[in-house]
Amino acid sequence: MSPWEGWLDLLQQPFMQRALIGGLLTGSLGGLLGSFAVLRQLSFFSDALGHSALLGITLGILLGLNPTLVLIPFAVLFALMVSRLVDNNRLPTDALLNIIYSSSLALAVVALSFVDSYKGGIANLLFGDILGVSWLDLGLILLLLIGASGYLLLSRRDQILLTLDESLARSRGVDVGLHRLLFIVVLALVVALSIKAVGVLLISAFVVIPACASRLVSNSFNLYVPVAAGLGGGCAVLGLLLSGALSLPSGPSVVIVQLAGFLLALALAPRSKGPGAAG
Amino acid sequence: MAEMVLEVSGLTVRRGSLTAVQAVSFGLAAETDTALVGPNGAGKSSLVQALLGIIPHQEGEVRLLGHRLSRQGRLPEAVRAQVAYLPQTFPLVGRVPLTVAEFVGLGWDPAGLRWPWRGGEQRRRAVVQALGKTASQDLADRLISELSPGQIKRVLLAFCLVRPRRLLVLDEAQAGLDAQAVESFYNLLFQLRRTEGWTILQVSHDLEMVRRTCTGVLCLNRRLRCSGPPNHALQPQQLEQVYGRGYVPYQHHHAPSPPLP
Repeated sequence: MSPWEGWLDLLQQPFMQRALIGGLLTGSLGGLLGSFAVLRQLSFFSDALGHSALLGITLGILLGLNPTLVLIPFAVLFALMVSRLVDNNRLPTDALLNIIYSSSLALAVVALSFVDSYKGGIANLLFGDILGVSWLDLGLILLLLIGASGYLLLSRRDQILLTLDESLARSRGVDVGLHRLLFIVVLALVVALSIKAVGVLLISAFVVIPACASRLVSNSFNLYVPVAAGLGGGCAVLGLLLSGALSLPSGPSVVIVQLAGFLLALALAPRSKGPGAAG
Repeated sequence: MAEMVLEVSGLTVRRGSLTAVQAVSFGLAAETDTALVGPNGAGKSSLVQALLGIIPHQEGEVRLLGHRLSRQGRLPEAVRAQVAYLPQTFPLVGRVPLTVAEFVGLGWDPAGLRWPWRGGEQRRRAVVQALGKTASQDLADRLISELSPGQIKRVLLAFCLVRPRRLLVLDEAQAGLDAQAVESFYNLLFQLRRTEGWTILQVSHDLEMVRRTCTGVLCLNRRLRCSGPPNHALQPQQLEQVYGRGYVPYQHHHAPSPPLP
């Protein structure tokens, strides 16, 4: 069998088809949420959420429950608690988030070392195992993608005003508290449901890189969000195909393709005209 | 008797343990241009933010176009749509890939959840018209991050113009502008006030400009220290009440201009 035939054969395997669909959905979701998260300076927040997810998974394993089902409420509660802590603390946000994510990661790894059945699975948790996603996982991610897209589309005006300036948003009647809360909850759900496919260490790349690449090449907001989602989904599919063809680990392959996309965007990006370029 | 657009009675605003504004009462009649002056930390921004419901107030009453603002800052949407606010700066504006037309369109969209394509044609027409009134048509497709401070101010006025408004609240509109841009901004603002029938409340540190352009002045230093027409409220003895003894107003170095008509 030639490498080409082997690759085509791989594409016909149900696990690979699920992985491609999973990559498309997870990547699009990351790009969609990331487009707002990056502008609101929540990149590091999503990183902290991703790292803390390992603690949620560990909790599930220690309690003998389905880790994904434990992770969903854990991630949401954790995100809300961290968000409250960040809002009501004098410490710089990046320092606080650093403390949270490094300590939750350390706690989770130490706890996992006591669970014999998971000693070998830590790499999968850290870097993802997209080839292991089930139809149930895909269904949940699809539902979340539909829900998140609907929410962001319906509240587009409020989301943009909130991103621009909180006081301007409030003056226009935007319920800032509610939208911040909902966005954090959706971001936490995205992290919780994507962890299996993407891994704890790489989840923030799914949120941040496509959005940053899109920001570089987009000359309007109407373009920016769909391009970020498209880049996220497209890079994930390309990365998975590359990983299948070259027998590379799937999660890191996707991130490498995202990086290539970002570098391409950097090269293609129009040079910033800067304030007042046209007088 | 002139219609009252804004009525404030016994307003107290606390920020944490600090009382930023205490027992302030005043009213703004329709189509007047009132400046809110006072030293840094006098509570000017807190006052305007409380009047618009951006921050809550703890005591007193605010009525906008006859409707009571709740302590938490809630107001019927039909009333809120007639009020526009321009903050000093948007710190994140440089990061957001938003065109001028998209930004002005946000001022047209009503509050609440709705599909973004609803009312697209009406929105587009309103945006074109608003940009035309502020001589900003050529900026429509530019990213707001690429605009000069003067251009941003014009676009912000277009944001206010895109729907009919009754009250315009500006927080240090002249911040970040050079003398020429300040002059040109105020000329445009004054012209629009007349054509659009706006009532204006503006926080300002430029007492010369206030003297030339405003019909009334509110002098704030936590409490309302004095108020009235500029020739009364900006007298040295009144200003001493607000800024303290030995206060010498800063003279701007741009060429003196006659009062705006």
